[in-house]
Amino acid sequence: MTDLSANIEINTDKDLVILKGSWDLHGISTLAAKYLNISWPTHRTLTLDGTQITKMDSAGAWLLHQCKNILTQHENTIKTYDFRDVHKEMIALVEQEAASHPPEKPPAQPAFDPLYQLGKGTVKRIKEGYNFLSLTGELTLYILKAFKQLRLFQFPNTCNAIYHCGYRALPILALLSFLIGVVLAYQMGLQLETYGANIFIVYLSGMAVLREFGPLLTAIIVAGRTSSSFTAEIGTMKVNEEIDALLTMGISPTQRLVLPKTVGLIIVFPLLIFWADAFGLFGSMVMSKWMLGINYPDFFARMKSDVGVSHYYIGLSKAPFFAAIIALVGCYQGFTVSLSADSVGFQTTKSVVQAIFLIIIADAIFSVLFSWAGL
Amino acid sequence: MKEKIPETIIEIRDLKNKLGDQWVHSGINLDIHRKEIIAVVGGSGSGKTTLLRNILALLKPTEGSIKIFGIDLLKANTRELASIRNRWGVLFQKSALFSSMTVLDNVLFPLREFTRLPEKFLQEIGLLKIGLVGLPLSSSYKYPSELSGGMQKRAAAARAIALDPELLFLDEPTSGLDPASARELDRLILDLRNSLGLTVILITHDPESLFGITDKVAFLGEGKLLAFSPIKELVKNPHPQIQKYFEGRI
Repeated sequence: MTDLSANIEINTDKDLVILKGSWDLHGISTLAAKYLNISWPTHRTLTLDGTQITKMDSAGAWLLHQCKNILTQHENTIKTYDFRDVHKEMIALVEQEAASHPPEKPPAQPAFDPLYQLGKGTVKRIKEGYNFLSLTGELTLYILKAFKQLRLFQFPNTCNAIYHCGYRALPILALLSFLIGVVLAYQMGLQLETYGANIFIVYLSGMAVLREFGPLLTAIIVAGRTSSSFTAEIGTMKVNEEIDALLTMGISPTQRLVLPKTVGLIIVFPLLIFWADAFGLFGSMVMSKWMLGINYPDFFARMKSDVGVSHYYIGLSKAPFFAAIIALVGCYQGFTVSLSADSVGFQTTKSVVQAIFLIIIADAIFSVLFSWAGL
Repeated sequence: MKEKIPETIIEIRDLKNKLGDQWVHSGINLDIHRKEIIAVVGGSGSGKTTLLRNILALLKPTEGSIKIFGIDLLKANTRELASIRNRWGVLFQKSALFSSMTVLDNVLFPLREFTRLPEKFLQEIGLLKIGLVGLPLSSSYKYPSELSGGMQKRAAAARAIALDPELLFLDEPTSGLDPASARELDRLILDLRNSLGLTVILITHDPESLFGITDKVAFLGEGKLLAFSPIKELVKNPHPQIQKYFEGRI
């Protein structure tokens, strides 16, 4: 069996260059790596013999073309070629193509300039902030308009958002809130037990769950579930040119897509917080009984007298802001998707990270505001 | 040692397809020979795309057999399927370029996967293919979303011929192209057939392509192959569906 890979034999005595083997994508791999380093003849009149080539495709023809270029660069004259007819057509096609296009250099990458990058990053973020603000403003106008014309609330779509973002999140939210309640009571219980101050667990866990953990946990779970799904949905619509289709029909994507999602989330969010509060408290109640021996009736009585309802209202008051942050960030990131598949993934990640980031910032601001107000 | 390639590249026998509860194909027989340019035509919903998906091993037919390069697709093992897939190129209707890669990277993608050539040489081959399909080389470093629809089609064609396939499938190659570009693409298909020895199967509604470059046309309708003949004979076929299809086009 003959060697299948492409090969060049140079016979300097007879001024003969013999090409052998299979000049196709797989056969030329060795030759393509070393053809520049072959000791090519110089100043001769050569005969190229390609009749022993078994197979040739366009890659092989291109290699041949390159070899011929090198031969000419070494100031050889190629007197005659000998190739099979089928291969001649291929060579002609490639050479014609090579002649019609001058070689193209890839565009130069701009050099790394820290000042330029800083400026670019700043402008980009300012623009992002501006666009986000425009979306918020536009949405506000549409919501105000919708109060005059209730049809614009699009109840089917709003209900759909409530179902998907709220109802379907109930099991996971219940489980996680319960576990957080258990962990919280356990950690605080360890400390309280050493002081013999068991009963204070009710006040501590009640306040922590109602005021902070309930709303924050709900927000983080909903941000992970919903903000990403909004981004992916709107982003895919953008890639499919569905957003453009809406625009050309004279329908605002903000009104059609963002409004029902935001309104639905704002409606369902307080309910989710209530659900998380209930399961969080249930978790600490179970743990208190098991670890510190506080009976359920005592727990309830203490809840009523020590914690009261004000912490619950404080926790609940954050709901619309968190909901708006999640919905707006999710939708906004969806609109910034550019026309490529990996951009959808990138913006989805960004939307979750940004939503959670903003929620924690907002929560910190609320803490400061409430402490000023003396709540 | 030269691999023997059977003259019949594609052999379809008694192909039947049931999608949902509807029979799309009820017994199709088709033989496609080497170096032929075959067009598959038929009205909307006649199962052209389903047939293509069957042949491309993307969709398993309900019944029947498909042999490509003499290998039965339905009985082929993973290795045989992979070897078949290396020997064909596909141009999808919506181009299906990888949107996160530049045009050149798209073309180089199969080359990088399946060959072991030095990077510089690969780039040259990639640029050669891009030039062959008539794209300006300056578009090589652009992303698909920065190109017009027609240019995306050409880029997709460059990717389809990257590995110098023996068999080329084109799903509506000229749709969305201006007439001049469409004729250039037709010429390219002819050139490729003549110089690379390609077998080409195209789904098209473009009468100029049908009359200009096809050797034979397969007409699908009523779940069957209603006719399989050169276009000049096909237009004379008295079958009412065929007459309706060509109405006003001849």
